[in-house]
Amino acid sequence: MFGKGLIKGLEITWGWFWRKKVTVEYPDEKLVMSPRFHGRFELDQEKCIACGLCANACPNKVIQIEKAKLGKKQILIKYVMRIEYCLFCGLCVEACNKDALSFSSVIDMNQYYRGKVRLTMVDRPAPTPEEIAAAEAEEAAKAAAAQAAAAKAKAKGEEG
Amino acid sequence: MLKTQTYTLNLGPQHPSTHGVFQIVLELDGETVVKATPVPGYLHRGIEKLAEARTYTQVIPYTDRMDYMAGMLMNWGYVGAVEKLMGVEVPDRAEYIRVIVGELSRIASHLIATGAYAGDIGGLTGFIYTFRDREDVIDMLEMISGSRMTFSYFRIGGVAEDLPPEFFPAIKKFIEKFPSCCDEYDGLITGNEIFQVRTKHVGVITPEMAVNYSLSGPVLRGSGVNFDLRKARPYGIYDRMDFEVPLGCNGDCFDRYSIRILEMRQSLRIIEQALEQLPEGPIMAKVPKVIKPPVGDVYYEIESSKGLFGSYVVSDGSAKPYRVHFRRPSYINLGYLGKLCEGWKIADVIAILGSIDIVLGEVDC
Amino acid sequence: MGENILTGIAAGLRGLLDGAGVPVLWNDVILMVVKVVVILLFITVNILWLVYMERRVCAFIQCRLGPNRVGPKGLLQSFADMGKLLSKEFTWNRYWDKVVYFLSPVLIFVPPFMIYAIVPFGDNMAAVNMNIGLFYFAAVSSLGSIILWSGGWASNNKYSLIGAMRVVAQMVSYELPLMLALLGVVMLTGTLNMSEIVNAQHGVWFIFTQPLAFLIYFTAGLAETNRTPFCLVEGESEIIAGPYTEYSGMGYSMFMLAEYASVMLISAMCTVAFLGGWLAPFGLTFIPSWIWFFLKMYVMIFVFMWVRWTYPRLRVDQLMGFGWKVLIPLCLANIFVTGVGMYIYRAIGW
Repeated sequence: MFGKGLIKGLEITWGWFWRKKVTVEYPDEKLVMSPRFHGRFELDQEKCIACGLCANACPNKVIQIEKAKLGKKQILIKYVMRIEYCLFCGLCVEACNKDALSFSSVIDMNQYYRGKVRLTMVDRPAPTPEEIAAAEAEEAAKAAAAQAAAAKAKAKGEEG
Repeated sequence: MLKTQTYTLNLGPQHPSTHGVFQIVLELDGETVVKATPVPGYLHRGIEKLAEARTYTQVIPYTDRMDYMAGMLMNWGYVGAVEKLMGVEVPDRAEYIRVIVGELSRIASHLIATGAYAGDIGGLTGFIYTFRDREDVIDMLEMISGSRMTFSYFRIGGVAEDLPPEFFPAIKKFIEKFPSCCDEYDGLITGNEIFQVRTKHVGVITPEMAVNYSLSGPVLRGSGVNFDLRKARPYGIYDRMDFEVPLGCNGDCFDRYSIRILEMRQSLRIIEQALEQLPEGPIMAKVPKVIKPPVGDVYYEIESSKGLFGSYVVSDGSAKPYRVHFRRPSYINLGYLGKLCEGWKIADVIAILGSIDIVLGEVDC
Repeated sequence: MGENILTGIAAGLRGLLDGAGVPVLWNDVILMVVKVVVILLFITVNILWLVYMERRVCAFIQCRLGPNRVGPKGLLQSFADMGKLLSKEFTWNRYWDKVVYFLSPVLIFVPPFMIYAIVPFGDNMAAVNMNIGLFYFAAVSSLGSIILWSGGWASNNKYSLIGAMRVVAQMVSYELPLMLALLGVVMLTGTLNMSEIVNAQHGVWFIFTQPLAFLIYFTAGLAETNRTPFCLVEGESEIIAGPYTEYSGMGYSMFMLAEYASVMLISAMCTVAFLGGWLAPFGLTFIPSWIWFFLKMYVMIFVFMWVRWTYPRLRVDQLMGFGWKVLIPLCLANIFVTGVGMYIYRAIGW
């Protein structure tokens, strides 16, 4: 009969009129993101060795790293992510083999001013020449002590 | 002297129903179209040029942004090409995972096609219902890859991460729920007499014209040509899957629309089979850290939700591709739009454009 | 108890004016002005309520919540909308026909408001009890189409022109089925007076004796008020906003509010002609008559909204074909059957 489809449509919409609604009323109720969600970045500064693998992996050169040598170690001076160019693809997180860079579930990254959008993870002053000299002296002292200990052990071994 | 005159109307880049920034310059006689000239290019972002300055892995996030409705399938087309060039064998578990997420992406893309088409014809309720169901698919893809729309999940040699444990109960729930959702769309949209009167016998594409204009996907199958790349030249592990290819008989807008709903049901069948057959094993083949394919070129095609998606990769031996070109199905399917719209009314132009189902990210690349 | 509250106030006012020694003519004029102003205010408040109701009904059908943040349960949303529309930027275009452009949103309210004066909201509660009520309705409601058309023409925009032409075609084609459907009711009652038509439904409502006429009136009413499935005048997904494309801010909102005013009017006419007006069904007379009238009117408005959010829209040639080739022959068939039926009833002697 002509009109059967029309009546079926009305039945479907009538049914949905009375059912529970699917809206999540945003700031009062929030959805829980999945564990792997690509939210805001977090850098664990203890684990980071400033190798620069993440900066190389990024398609858009979002990560800008400045590092300095303090004795034998490399430390981070500056770690800035230009989030306005970021694709949130996750290639940088995948590249880091120390698990220092990771995603969190934070989704509000909006700011009123453009300059505040960049994520500056680390911004400490570069080490001064005295610090570098002190660190090198420490390294030299450690190396000398290690050499002396090795020579003593060798002498002991020859004796015994 | 009384005479009639044709006038030019700009179905301009800003229009609620052109699925993005797409312009059609119409020459109208009253309400009837005399000549239609599609003008693409408003969303051109230079992805193919950008790819020349990125390494092979870094191109993958850019491919998601072409057909952003079915991002996984776009990834697959590009990654498959590089793997073919390098001769990498993808492990079985990764192939099955690729099929699962690819078919989920296909369902998501067809849900948008269905909903947006219903919205263009005037039934906005259908639009909201399909988006509500798309949320379930996107939530599952978010569990797997971390993003809801631009996934960058595929890697050269496999996939990035394994399926998380919370995925399996979710997909089981979805497989049970989805056929009733398709029944709802059939009841609300497909069975509606007004919708049928708007779309039946409108914009008929004959099989000969479809093949001559290199149309593919639901547009080609709506005209009755039985060509689905997953059955004709199976890639990956599609030869182990058992599914049907829905065909249309008239080649009108209604056939192209209803094929998409039938394809969604078939995709669900494929996902069920893939989940049953899912083996254990590694998800990434042994590929070097820096990907340097041998010198040469390769063309690799997959059956995307809009049609045949192909990528042509030329390598010169370095870590960055020399040239990447994508054969985008939406762009090729639009080739026939100008001639197809002649003689129909303005409302039919919208119906025809919606039934071809274009995504501007793909048209303009 | 509340049955005579409105007539009581009117009588009280008349008594007050009499007591103050006002001549009878002035008495009548003042009372008429008061009635008209009250009706206008009431209709305006109703329109604002309908904006909210449409959005809520639309949202519920689409399994989402709708506006519920502004005020308790979102009831003050209409006022927020008014504030937003008043503050919109006003662009000035050199090529507009300025007089017609500015007059159209103002004049669009005139036909509905003119007809509200004769609608019987309850027992003895029509502001003007005209003997040719339905004829007046038919004559004045046709004026709406020319005002919409002039708004679209004056905008100097091709989309508006297409929309304006569609308006004229559509509203002219569906005037005939609208009136012919009501003709069936007139044949049964023998009068054009709206209060008499309501009174004639004491036994059984006309929706049961004239079901086909009710369906035709409903369909033609959808077309007259430019609601889906006949909303191709402002078919959003094709010609943006049709004749209203160039209007922004208050001009646009005037057109939208006038659309709701005419929806209320068509529902009110439907209630009077087919659903028994202010008569109480099943003898539940403790609820005042004017509340019954509004309940029935709102049920009809809900059905209008329900239909709007379920169906897609027709194409322009299909719409014209449907009006002229399907509805009018059905109307004529209805009139024929009604006439034959009435003759047979009288011949049998019922």
